[in-house]
Amino acid sequence: MTTIQRVLVYAGAAVVTAYFLYPLYVLLLVGFAPVQYTLDKIYPAQFTMHYTLANLVTALTSYGFIDPLVKSLKTAFLVGGLSVALGFPAGYGLSRVSKKVSSAASTTLFVVNMMPAIVIAIPISTQFVRLGLYGSFVGVGLAQELVALPLATFIIYGTFQAIPRELEYQARIDGAGVGRTMLGVLAPLAKPGIAAAFLLSWMLSWDEFTFAILLSPVHPTIPILIYHNIQRGNLLASTAFALFLTLPVVAITIMLQKYLKGEYLSGGVKG
Amino acid sequence: MRKPNDLNYLLFIFPALLYVGYFSFYPAARAVYLSFQTPHSHFVLVNYKSLLYYGLSSAVLNTVALTVGALLIQLAIGLGAASILLREFRGKRVFSALVIIPMGVATVVAAVTFSFIFPPPPGGYANALLELLHLPQFNWYANTLASLFTVMVADSWKNTPIVTLILLAGMSGVSPDLYRAAEIDGAGALRRFIHITLPNIRGSIAVALIIRGVSEFNIFALPLVLVGYRIPLLTTLTYEFYSSASIGDYYYSLASATILLAFVAAFILVVLKLGGGRR
Repeated sequence: MTTIQRVLVYAGAAVVTAYFLYPLYVLLLVGFAPVQYTLDKIYPAQFTMHYTLANLVTALTSYGFIDPLVKSLKTAFLVGGLSVALGFPAGYGLSRVSKKVSSAASTTLFVVNMMPAIVIAIPISTQFVRLGLYGSFVGVGLAQELVALPLATFIIYGTFQAIPRELEYQARIDGAGVGRTMLGVLAPLAKPGIAAAFLLSWMLSWDEFTFAILLSPVHPTIPILIYHNIQRGNLLASTAFALFLTLPVVAITIMLQKYLKGEYLSGGVKG
Repeated sequence: MRKPNDLNYLLFIFPALLYVGYFSFYPAARAVYLSFQTPHSHFVLVNYKSLLYYGLSSAVLNTVALTVGALLIQLAIGLGAASILLREFRGKRVFSALVIIPMGVATVVAAVTFSFIFPPPPGGYANALLELLHLPQFNWYANTLASLFTVMVADSWKNTPIVTLILLAGMSGVSPDLYRAAEIDGAGALRRFIHITLPNIRGSIAVALIIRGVSEFNIFALPLVLVGYRIPLLTTLTYEFYSSASIGDYYYSLASATILLAFVAAFILVVLKLGGGRR
C-alpha cells in the first residue's frame, strides 16, 4: 500500500467507526449523565464530566421492570430451546438427504424467513385469543420461532456438513440406534453449531418487536416496555431499559462473530 | 449396510416443515382469504376500496421510496467498509468487531437512540453537532422526504453491518491475481474497484439487496417511534388499523397486510428465479 492509500484506509475506517459508534455513545451519555446535561437541553453537550447511576436505578426500580424482564427471559429461552429441538434434527436431515430435497426444504425455510411478521401475526392473534395464548410468553415465543428457526437450521446444517458421515456409519455398525447415534455421537460433534443456533435464536427473541407488540401488547416484553415508555414520554426510563436490553446482546454478537458470516446471513442463497 | 434413502432422513426435517407450515404459511393464506371478507359478507373488495380512501397509495409510495433510499445508503457504506476490511492495517481486529456491533442492537433501541439524535425541532444531538460546527440547523421532519431520509439513516446504522459482511464475503473471493494484473497494466485503485471488484461481486450485491430489500419493506419499529403514523408506511398503516378496537378496522388491517405480502411475494419470486439456475 502506498502512503496515500494507507491514509485513505485509516480515514475511511475512522468515518465508519464514528457512524457506528456515535449512536451508542449518545445512548450511554443519556443513560449515565444527569438529565440537565442531556435531554433537558435543546443543544446537549457532546461530552460531560458529570455521571450518575440515578437514571438507571430509578428506571429499574420504579417502572414495573421485573414482569417484562421475566417475560423476555422466558420467551427467549423458549425460542432458543425450540430452535435446537426443531433445528437439530432438521439440520441433520438436510445434510443427509439428496441435493434436490435439501434445496427444496431450505428454500421453504428461506421463504419463511422473509414472511412479514405483521402479516402472520394478525390472523394468528385471533386464533391465539381462542387458544388462550394471546398475551402469553408461549404465544409470543411460538411466533418468534418463525424468525429464528430458519437461521438456526442453516447454522446446524452447515455444522453437520463438516462432520464426516463415516463417523455416523461407524457408530451404527457398532450397534448404536438412530437416537444414540444422534445424541451420543453427532450432538457432541455439532456442539459449537448448536450453541451458536441457540444463542442466535435467544438473541433474536430478546430483541424482537413486531410479534411481541402484536401478540402481547398488555403484558409486554422489554422491547415493548421501551416503546410504551417512549410513548408516555419517560425517555430516561426507556433509555435505561434500552441499555439493559443491549448489553447481553452486544456480548453475544461479539461471541458469535465467527458465525455471522455472509453465507449464513444470506440464508443459503447463492448469488 | 443399507444405503440411506431420502425418505428416512426427511422424517428429521419434517417437524420443522410442519411447524413453519402451520405457523407461517397457513396464517398468511388466512390473512389473504379474510382480507376479502367483512363481518357480514363474503368475497368483496370493500376493504381495499376503503384503504385507498385511507391513504394506501401514499403508504405504498413511501414504503418503496424508503426501501430504495435505505438500500442505496447501505450499499454505499457497506462497499466502503468492506473494502477497508479487505486490507491489512493496524487495528483491523478492533475495527471488524466494531463494525458488527450495531447488528446486535435491537431495532427499538436504535429507535430510542435516534430519537435523541434526530428529535422533532428544536435541538437534539445532531443539531448540537451542527451548531458546534457553526452550520445551519436542520428540521429532520420538515416534510415527507426529510422524514423518510431520517428513518433511512437510522435504519442504515443498524443494517449496514449485514450488508458489509455479505459484500466482504464476496470481495474475499475475488482472486488477487486480477488486481495484480490490473495494477501492472496501470489501473488506479478507483478503476480497479469499478472494473474488477464490482463486476466480480455482482452476486453478493444481489443477495444483499434482496435480503435487505425484503426487510426494508417490513420496517416497522423504527418509523413507528420516529414518525408515528404521520408518514404512513404499509406496516404502520396495517398496525394502526390492527390496534384500533373496531372490527371493521381489523379487516382493513388484513387488506393492508395482504398488499404488503404481495410486494414481499414478488421479491421472493425474483429471488427464487435468480437462484433457480443454480439449484
